[in-house]
Amino acid sequence: MSVLELHDAAVTLDRRVIWREASFRLERGAVAAVLGPNGAGKSTLLRAVVGLVPLSAGTVTVFGAAPHRGDPRVGYVAQSRAADTLSTMTGRDYVGLGYDGPTVGWRRDRARAEIVTRALALTGTTTFADRPMHTLSGGQHQRIAIAHATVFRPELLLLDEPLAGLDLAAQAEVVDLINLVRDQTGAAVLVVAHDLNPLAPIVDRVVWIARGHVRCGNPDDVVNEATLSELYGHPIEIVHTARGRRVIVGLDEEFAHPHPHGHVHENEDPHTHLAEVYDEVTR
Amino acid sequence: MSLTTLLGFSFVQNAIYAVTAVALAAGAVGYFVVLRRQAFAAHAIGHIGFAGAAGAVLLGLAPVVGLLVFCLGAGLVIGLAGATLDDRDAVVGVTLTAALGLGVLFISLYSGYANATYSILFGQILGVTTGDVWLVAGLSAAVLLTVSLVYRPLLFVSVDAQSAAVRGVSPMSYSVLFMGLLALTTVVAIQIVGVLLVFALLVAPAATAAALTGRPARAMLLAMALALASSWIGLALAIWIGGPTSFWITALASLGYLGARVRLRVGQAHGQRVAA
Repeated sequence: MSVLELHDAAVTLDRRVIWREASFRLERGAVAAVLGPNGAGKSTLLRAVVGLVPLSAGTVTVFGAAPHRGDPRVGYVAQSRAADTLSTMTGRDYVGLGYDGPTVGWRRDRARAEIVTRALALTGTTTFADRPMHTLSGGQHQRIAIAHATVFRPELLLLDEPLAGLDLAAQAEVVDLINLVRDQTGAAVLVVAHDLNPLAPIVDRVVWIARGHVRCGNPDDVVNEATLSELYGHPIEIVHTARGRRVIVGLDEEFAHPHPHGHVHENEDPHTHLAEVYDEVTR
Repeated sequence: MSLTTLLGFSFVQNAIYAVTAVALAAGAVGYFVVLRRQAFAAHAIGHIGFAGAAGAVLLGLAPVVGLLVFCLGAGLVIGLAGATLDDRDAVVGVTLTAALGLGVLFISLYSGYANATYSILFGQILGVTTGDVWLVAGLSAAVLLTVSLVYRPLLFVSVDAQSAAVRGVSPMSYSVLFMGLLALTTVVAIQIVGVLLVFALLVAPAATAAALTGRPARAMLLAMALALASSWIGLALAIWIGGPTSFWITALASLGYLGARVRLRVGQAHGQRVAA
């Protein structure tokens, strides 16, 4: 049984078709990157998988059944917001809320503190878990958010733009952590991103959404000139750099990379350890 | 006049009981008002309550009946709209305006002297009857009991609605529940400090507490303690020195907030010096 399976799925919001004919499956321990231009419906895909957005056609099954809210087998990290109400709370408090979930009442759970501590240890966040979250860097913040989402050791982890706004070193840290969580828990991971390059070393599948269409497959089957040209409806060129990164040429830049940090910077000289990471892309 | 003599008066006793119940409920709910950034909604519900009280007076009912109906109704509207809409403030503002318009109409239709509406606006703590005390204590206890039961999911949905929704905490249900709690708290707070000064108990102690500590449980308990302190001391000053109780309570609550902000700034400046 696949962890996640979509069959001819479509989502319509306000009578506008966001995407349709989405068919793919995600197996245990697999990492899939969800890519595509802004507004293509990448976050909507995650929201459909957790049952927050209904399908207008087709089916989505999570562990063989229709998705429902509050499934402890599903962990979810929302896109971090600019004005963050979490600011004064400590990471440990926030991870504790993930453990409590919808529980109402006065009963004190003895296992709580231990399980929260374990989630912090797994994500390497123990050293800054007791600091207010507004004092943390973007990467630390994101790692606390992953601890929050993995406190139940979910079998399906959904991450919405975990690399947005992070510098290259922090991106590499978060990517390492996603890989670690996958290895330790065997969870399937669906991660929305702007750029495949930082994720490339750990990605097994790519889900590319553009112009209402969804393509899924192995990275090389999707991220090639023929498939992307067909998806975007005009010629796309892919250049492989010496360090093994893919530079995609011909996307509408304004539309495809609206985030200041989402670009592939050709002239940038990344840290040495990152260069090693990127070298693995083409192997 | 000695303290024992003063405490022997039933109106003083009633005032102490009422102010204690109100301060505890307002401190706890106020913490979530600040956390959820719904100060405008808290402000609006108080004023909407005024229209309800005016309507009740016009119909010859107890003002508290109108307060309850209008505050709970407004809480329901704002709660339903606020969970999903980004323009929450517009919904609050329009609801507020509509209710205040009704309030003006009710007062103009009422031929008698609107003494009851005056006390709704500014509070009348020393005029609290034993019946009022029971009502205030009962409503406050219900609010505190509910907050203590739903504390964790309410905290979760208040700081991170999206993740909470995925974990099975419905933002819509909690938005409506919270606005209901806020409406009840507003109704009881109005009895003490009045519509215009309801912020003194609902927002000022919570904002002070939030500026002093980031830990949620600690901040909520601190907000309750600060609300209690400013109410008790305010009441004492009003009796010993004179002047309206609601003036003293608002003055103390505001001074507390000012102090917390100054402490925060001094702390930050000190931190920068150390870092430099």
